[in-house]
Amino acid sequence: MERGMTVKPEMTTGLVWSALADPAHDSQRLFRQILAALSEPGTLHAIAVAEPPQARLGAALWGALLTLCDLETKIWIAADLDSPPLREALTFHTGARITNDPANADFALLTPESFDPDIPFALGSDSYPDRSTTLLVAVERLENIEGWRLSGPGIAESRMLDIGDGSRALMTRLAANRASFPCGLDAIFGCGGQLAAIPRSTRIDSTRIDGANAGEVN
Amino acid sequence: MNGYNFAYLDEQTKRMIRRALLKAVAIPGYQVPFGGREMPMPYGWGTGGVQVTASILGADDILKVIDQGADDTTNAVSIRHFFQRVAGVETTTSTATADVIQTRHRIPETPLRNGQILVFQVPIPEPLRFIEPSEQETRMMHALEEYGVMHVKLYEDIARYGHIATTYAYPVKVDGRYVMDPSPIPKFDNPKLDGNPALMLFGAGREKRLYAIPPYTRVESLDFEDHPFEVQTWEHTCALCGSDHSYLDEVITDDKGGRMFVCSDTDYCQTRRGEVA
Repeated sequence: MERGMTVKPEMTTGLVWSALADPAHDSQRLFRQILAALSEPGTLHAIAVAEPPQARLGAALWGALLTLCDLETKIWIAADLDSPPLREALTFHTGARITNDPANADFALLTPESFDPDIPFALGSDSYPDRSTTLLVAVERLENIEGWRLSGPGIAESRMLDIGDGSRALMTRLAANRASFPCGLDAIFGCGGQLAAIPRSTRIDSTRIDGANAGEVN
Repeated sequence: MNGYNFAYLDEQTKRMIRRALLKAVAIPGYQVPFGGREMPMPYGWGTGGVQVTASILGADDILKVIDQGADDTTNAVSIRHFFQRVAGVETTTSTATADVIQTRHRIPETPLRNGQILVFQVPIPEPLRFIEPSEQETRMMHALEEYGVMHVKLYEDIARYGHIATTYAYPVKVDGRYVMDPSPIPKFDNPKLDGNPALMLFGAGREKRLYAIPPYTRVESLDFEDHPFEVQTWEHTCALCGSDHSYLDEVITDDKGGRMFVCSDTDYCQTRRGEVA
């Protein structure tokens, strides 16, 4: 393994990674919440799933993984979320394959800190823009307050979303989706049990006037 | 539920369709290929819409199914019975009460609200298909945003008839990018696509394509500056409810030329009559 895992096995071994209690109905309910999150970017959705032992991952993203992944999907995991128990639980519960090649991944698990614009995730092609990697991002905050202003499909006028500090590189990359549309990256955010999303169709502006986030990133 | 998984489709198939639906809402108007399954009804009866509905439907949802606006025509009745049987969901004919509405060729007259999902049955998802038969070519035209030929088709209407004669499946542009077939809804319904608070999902079973319009999305009907987009109008009002603003069907009543015009949306017409009476 080239990438070092920063989550130590003893932090999660022996704890229970819960599956969905009622797979057909629970995954339907979770899917509708994820569908609502992507079709109305920036809206917050409370995901009722048992918290996974790996706290940083959060219940919302664990629920999304259980709902969307199966033996047909490949998942790339950033070093700061990677751990043998997570890999084991994902493989056991969903049958999904873990890949080290981001260009081949259907889903990528990461944090704003481990996001690097140079990671070659799949963006899709002009003919098949759907063949792209969907980012599942564990963020430290999800609130409809000043931070980033979202507009576009799914938003009547505009909607505010803050995903925490240290998210500038990630949000700048998502804002750049507009220039490469229809190719691009869709992002689903999880913060504990809260879930929100920004698809590639969303226009993103910074609302912060302080130094770090000044001006439009679009 | 007599031996079927909830809502007929197996979980693996639902996940595949659900992943495709997420791509569809992320790229409004783009046709996402999906692994369409054989359904216990023939192609052309709404197998695409049924697969979308089966993948999103929950035990608590209230389902409405319409065919050309009516709740009581064959296609609507059989699909409604299908989901009553395989999902055990509550059904309704009321547009306002429904959570999920599967439709063939109409958008209800009663304005939809945020949170509702409208599922369209689509026969030919590709708006350029009758101009360019090759899938490879049309996919390239979408990739290059090369839509001039669609305006040529509308122009040929004007050259031949003096006006745009396309009355249903009237092409639209979604969020300024993809030209999309809104399914064979009358062009009367096209303005309802623009900025609608409800989520609209489109499923084509035979062609195995899904696409979507998220809520509050800009949807323009293609037209020309000197020949702007117009919807149908009628000299008549509905013979049953008196509506002068809904889409009317002409119904032949006898073999002596007798006819009447009635609302195509049966729920809307009945609600109005209930209010009037």
